[in-house]
Amino acid sequence: MNEAAPQGGEPAAPRRTGARDPQLSSWFESTARQRLAGLLDGGSFSEILGPEQRELSPHLRQFGLPPAFDDGMIVGRGRLAGRTVLVAAQEGRFLGGAVGEVHGAKLVGLLRAVRSMAADARALLILFDTGGVRLQEANAGEVAIAEIMHAMLQARAAGATILGLIGGRAGCFGGGGLIAACCSGLIVSEQGRIGVTGPEVIESNQGVEEFDAADRALVWRTVGGKHRRLIGGADAFAEDHAESFRSAAIALLERPCRFDLEVTVAEHARLRERLARLGDADDAWAIWARLGVADPTRVPDMPAPEFLELVARLQDERRDAR
Amino acid sequence: MSWQQRRGERNERLGAGSRFTNGKIIRAGEATALLEAVLRPGDRVCLEGDNQKQADHLAKALLACDPARVHDLHLVQSGIVLPAHLDLFERRIARRLDFSYSGPQSTRMARMLQAGQIELGAVHTYLELFARYFVDLTPAVALIAAVSADRDGNLYTGPNTEDTPTIVEATAFRDGIVIAQANEIVERVPRVDIPGDQVHFIAPAPAPFFVEPLFTRDPAAITETQILMAMLVIKGIYAPYGIERLNHGIGFGTAAIELILPTYGESLGLKGRIARRWALNPHPTLIPAIESGWVEQVHCFGSEVGMEAYLAARPDVFFTGSDGSLRSNRAYCQTAGLYACDLFIGSTLQIDPAGHSSTVTLSRVAGFGGAPNMGSDPRGRRHPSASWLKAGREAHRGGDAALMRGRKLVVQLVETFGEKLIPTFVEQLDAVQFGARLGLGLAPVMVYGDDVSHIVTEEGIANLLLCRDADEREQAIRGVAGYTEVGRRRDRAAVARLRQRGVIQRPEDLGIDPLDADRSLLAARSIRDLVRWSGGLYRPPARYRNW
Repeated sequence: MNEAAPQGGEPAAPRRTGARDPQLSSWFESTARQRLAGLLDGGSFSEILGPEQRELSPHLRQFGLPPAFDDGMIVGRGRLAGRTVLVAAQEGRFLGGAVGEVHGAKLVGLLRAVRSMAADARALLILFDTGGVRLQEANAGEVAIAEIMHAMLQARAAGATILGLIGGRAGCFGGGGLIAACCSGLIVSEQGRIGVTGPEVIESNQGVEEFDAADRALVWRTVGGKHRRLIGGADAFAEDHAESFRSAAIALLERPCRFDLEVTVAEHARLRERLARLGDADDAWAIWARLGVADPTRVPDMPAPEFLELVARLQDERRDAR
Repeated sequence: MSWQQRRGERNERLGAGSRFTNGKIIRAGEATALLEAVLRPGDRVCLEGDNQKQADHLAKALLACDPARVHDLHLVQSGIVLPAHLDLFERRIARRLDFSYSGPQSTRMARMLQAGQIELGAVHTYLELFARYFVDLTPAVALIAAVSADRDGNLYTGPNTEDTPTIVEATAFRDGIVIAQANEIVERVPRVDIPGDQVHFIAPAPAPFFVEPLFTRDPAAITETQILMAMLVIKGIYAPYGIERLNHGIGFGTAAIELILPTYGESLGLKGRIARRWALNPHPTLIPAIESGWVEQVHCFGSEVGMEAYLAARPDVFFTGSDGSLRSNRAYCQTAGLYACDLFIGSTLQIDPAGHSSTVTLSRVAGFGGAPNMGSDPRGRRHPSASWLKAGREAHRGGDAALMRGRKLVVQLVETFGEKLIPTFVEQLDAVQFGARLGLGLAPVMVYGDDVSHIVTEEGIANLLLCRDADEREQAIRGVAGYTEVGRRRDRAAVARLRQRGVIQRPEDLGIDPLDADRSLLAARSIRDLVRWSGGLYRPPARYRNW
């Protein structure tokens, strides 16, 4: 029965028996540290301000919540195909990867450090997995988001490439969505979701008629990885394992990356044009149809290779506006 | 004296109803009028509804009846699931109730029972209620659900056939009236599940009848603790007893077992030796085991939303009709689970130190469903099997060995603390207080302690068959109850002795390292993986997707 030809549109599932190869295990399932291990050259990661320093959140204790020794943010440096990069990874299993004071400060510090790298080799990767700012330390978290964005733009003005990798359980929402928008490039998997206001919040504020957060197929085709890739919100599409994120990151780091007035003006023009072209569509299906997808309802079920072919066909002359 | 009073009465009802029909088909908008004409106050009515499918159109039509004309009905059905089912009692259309399962309405049911708004006969198991349909709870009128009907009344009930044949059998052959709602009226039904001469009226439904995807467990939500417990069950129970024929409950713990058969089970060399024949709903989490060649045969109580095409494509494994689609039957499958399976494993909300368990808490009455039948040792069983005899030997306490009975394994699979860290182990079940408060005459116990053979928690396995007296049983149960109050009151020396005798087995006693309990053991870690395993044939409902 094992060998029977699949009768539907999907390739057979990989028959992994207890595979623990960090490069092949699911990105969605992995912890932040497992993702780093699979992403970087083997054994090249060295952590800055690691858990042994016990830099704890000063706020959580007041709410009776247990802290984490790394505050859900792992920062450090490592190598990617031999090239030195700085990396930051959010731990989605700790408070949904939410940004607090220490969590944010670690990323700000790393963003400042990128400017001390050689001028032609400034590269930083952020492995997002966050629902946004931590409610228990909201003010500190909001300030952290602003500081992060400020530091990102300064780093990019100094020539740094900053890539965001999105495919974790918590997605990339709230302040995380704002930070992602400041990256020079984004890599997303099918499971990855990018947005600012989360589906449940939209539903509770605007009503279920506006957005039914329990309709998960709707949620994913509105904020999920395939949609973000198709409308140009993300620059690369990865399969749900570290090896795929890794090769996408290596390729994107090669891409020339500018950040100046001309690029910013071009990006605004692109977004304006996109809004004019697609703004009245009431569902992602309608958007995909307008982009030239022949059978939009099939996109969510499309296996990755076929989806990548589709993207290549539709976006042959993608203007780089980031 | 007449011996045909019931038949005469039936003919009167048929005549009264026929004013609202063309042939057997009820005219649009006349369903309520027909019910008002056919029903009489105090009638015993089965409004078909179980834990899966619902005759929801007819439920609405009944609720719209004038309580001055239709009142004091006695509902006899498996499921109190739709809000309308309880609304009938609030509107005084119904007064008395005998049922089995009320999962989604469990909180409101508890409230209405305590407020005296429902006159409760009893809470049954499915099989028990079906049995009473033929003795003292025969419906006068049955309101049932079908996928399609033809003009002669032949019904196609499709994969979700479930309770329908049993209800119709009891009603139609005792001069009752059978009224079916049908999603569509067709020239010719794909297969005849209910013959037309047992069906009197057909109500075309404006929308397909409701089906709850109750048996879908998202592998993404399975925890490492549940995986550890699944490893304990496979290595500590399925393997040594050689369990080939079994039934699983619907929790995440049993889903974890299904998902590690092709990985962990395979690594233990158990393929073909355990878990081959099932009485089970078509759990999506069983797909990887089926596709890996573990499963020879599955008979189903009902169907599962999204599994239809997959089931139709695997007729070697599932029971299918001449049209190719699944045929389920709750009564037969319950019987199969009771008499032809060597093991039941399921979860529960509370267990006491005697091993009694219940899902009733003071604020919830979810009913029994099928668990008490699946989870009991059938004293009427007479055919042997290796696992049944092995369990029988373990349970045997003196007397003539030649007259020893076998024993079905009934396994309770629970984490020591449940949702919101509420302890699963309690000194006294809430059911006891609840039964007394409502004057039920019987505490609503799901599985009695003397039927339980094993309790499995993250702390280990307690084999209750090997316990020689009540004290040992109690210590065996406390000995796997973890850090709950019940567990902390254990006699440490007694528990150590039980462990020495193998009555209690910890993970390390079985050669299981808890650090190996990792989600990478799951053959599928998401609903998407299940779709892939099925070759795209499984079509999960939107609420279970993350793509």
